[in-house]
Amino acid sequence: MSVLRFIPLVLKQVTRHRVRTLLTLFGIAIAMFLFTSVQAMQSGVRVATQATADDTTLVVYRKDRYCPATSELPQDYQRRIEQIKGVERAIPVKVVVSNCRTSLDVVTFRGVPKESFLADRSGQFTIVSGSVEDWMRRTDASLVGETLAKRRGLSPGMTFDAAGITAYVAGVLRSDNPQDHNVAYTSLEFVQLAGHDDLGIVTQFNVKVAGASQLESVAEQIDDVFRTAQEPTATFPEKAFVGRIADDVIELVGFAGWLGMGALVAVLALIANAIVLSVQSRISEHAVLQTLGFSSAAVAALIIAEGVVIALAGGAVGAVAAVAVAEVGSFALSVEGQSIPITAGPGLIATGLLVCGGLGVLAGLVPAVQASRREIASCFRAV
Amino acid sequence: MSLIECVNLTREYRKGENIIRPLDGLDLEIEAGDFLALMGPSGSGKTTLLNLIAGIDSPTSGSLVIGGVDISSLSKRRLAAWRSENIGYVFQLYNLVPVLTAFENVELPLLLQKLSTKERRARVGEALEMVGIADRHNHYPRQLSGGQEQRVAIARAIVTDPAILVADEPTGDLDKPSAKSVMLLLQRLNADLNKTIIMVTHDPHTTEFAKHTLHLEKGRLLEQAGVAESGVGEGAGR
Repeated sequence: MSVLRFIPLVLKQVTRHRVRTLLTLFGIAIAMFLFTSVQAMQSGVRVATQATADDTTLVVYRKDRYCPATSELPQDYQRRIEQIKGVERAIPVKVVVSNCRTSLDVVTFRGVPKESFLADRSGQFTIVSGSVEDWMRRTDASLVGETLAKRRGLSPGMTFDAAGITAYVAGVLRSDNPQDHNVAYTSLEFVQLAGHDDLGIVTQFNVKVAGASQLESVAEQIDDVFRTAQEPTATFPEKAFVGRIADDVIELVGFAGWLGMGALVAVLALIANAIVLSVQSRISEHAVLQTLGFSSAAVAALIIAEGVVIALAGGAVGAVAAVAVAEVGSFALSVEGQSIPITAGPGLIATGLLVCGGLGVLAGLVPAVQASRREIASCFRAV
Repeated sequence: MSLIECVNLTREYRKGENIIRPLDGLDLEIEAGDFLALMGPSGSGKTTLLNLIAGIDSPTSGSLVIGGVDISSLSKRRLAAWRSENIGYVFQLYNLVPVLTAFENVELPLLLQKLSTKERRARVGEALEMVGIADRHNHYPRQLSGGQEQRVAIARAIVTDPAILVADEPTGDLDKPSAKSVMLLLQRLNADLNKTIIMVTHDPHTTEFAKHTLHLEKGRLLEQAGVAESGVGEGAGR
């Protein structure tokens, strides 16, 4: 027997019990919005902190410092770092942030030697608007990450103020690296001179090593070189560095995972409540179906299918809304200049729908089995 | 051979410490094409007998053979399939699904059969036409009168062309004109389509439309009044 012919019956039951369906759907949508948002944050943490096999960048920071404002290293460390075996190049970076605290709207300036930056990063980003030539030409020019540009409404030719720096937008860049999403790359000297006279002082070095297998040994060698220096260093693979700096945020996102689980429990309770009430109010209706020849299993399947349809509809609304908000808002959790993007996409919608479908089945299982096991004749006596 | 054969049919329920026996060793044979009215006081076992014949309840003991099939031995799944093919049930309170239109209610039993959408629609249309409610096919139960709802319920009962129609006080919730109209319809289904009809009723007037009337009391048959034989019911209500 084709189950497809029962789908219109299920849809009629769902759409024609409008108030019940809408109230349940609304609740599920809110819970799934929360769940998907938490998933988006967790996904961002994974993208920003999980190392991959082709990661070959180290970050050299001032030892025992966690904030760009306090990590000050002499720029001439660059020469000594580049002498270490396995190091391809070291790029001095001066970081200035508009807000040292955790925030959804932080602008991070990264002052870099332009030629070295382009040599190091060519092929790792694309310019979606504006031009690199314009960036190279002007001292105050910046290449702005796509997320930041979207959030602040920036486009080439505009100027913007943040952290006491006024910069010109020469181009907008798109990159897979989350640390590029929320930054404005400018010339090193421009950032060093903006507001403070910090010429010769940098926040960190981004060190490119020959191969991923050499990351640890090169990091140890760099720290050994500066162990007794006035400004000792602490060197980490780039994503481990992000994890270290953004530790508090990552912990909070981890805790938010429990909120996500709570949202799922809420979805389960909402669907179960809707199904239980529906089954209780339709005892005789289900008995009629069985009298007409529907088997117990068919009645149970119809009840579960109703739960799944409501769950999927609510889940779709909530998940799509969460992804849309994340997409439009272009949010990123930033701390100490490191960015944890809130990453939402079609994959999260699919996950949300899958979870909701599963919860719909789970929530409907017990009431459906109970309803299908009732003695038909006793159902009519009970009415 | 009779269409329905009940031998020593007993149904017991446990209610707390007590055992209630609405049917107590009932013997009964019903011929194909009969229109049988079951009467008796409340608790006499009429509806229990009807439910057993309809396959929605199971006897505690005894045998119930319908069309050569001992339905008390069927599994729940096979019994459901048997009901779908052989039984049309008409309830006192119609029991239409409130969120479905008249058409959709009548279509319900056909969803279990291997029919195309076109065939299903044709069959539903015929059934609604037969009960005289085709013009209301798009109405929801709440938009119909009691008599109209019962007609839809009868259309739902006959749409699969079952051999047996069981009706539990089909006019119990209707005014007199509607009740007569429904009884005439049942009588026509019996006469024209040769449906075997077993009807539970409290109303002596409705028995006039049946071919036979049986009285039950305390789960047993009191008498078997051959209405047609006595001439009282011959053509009654026509």
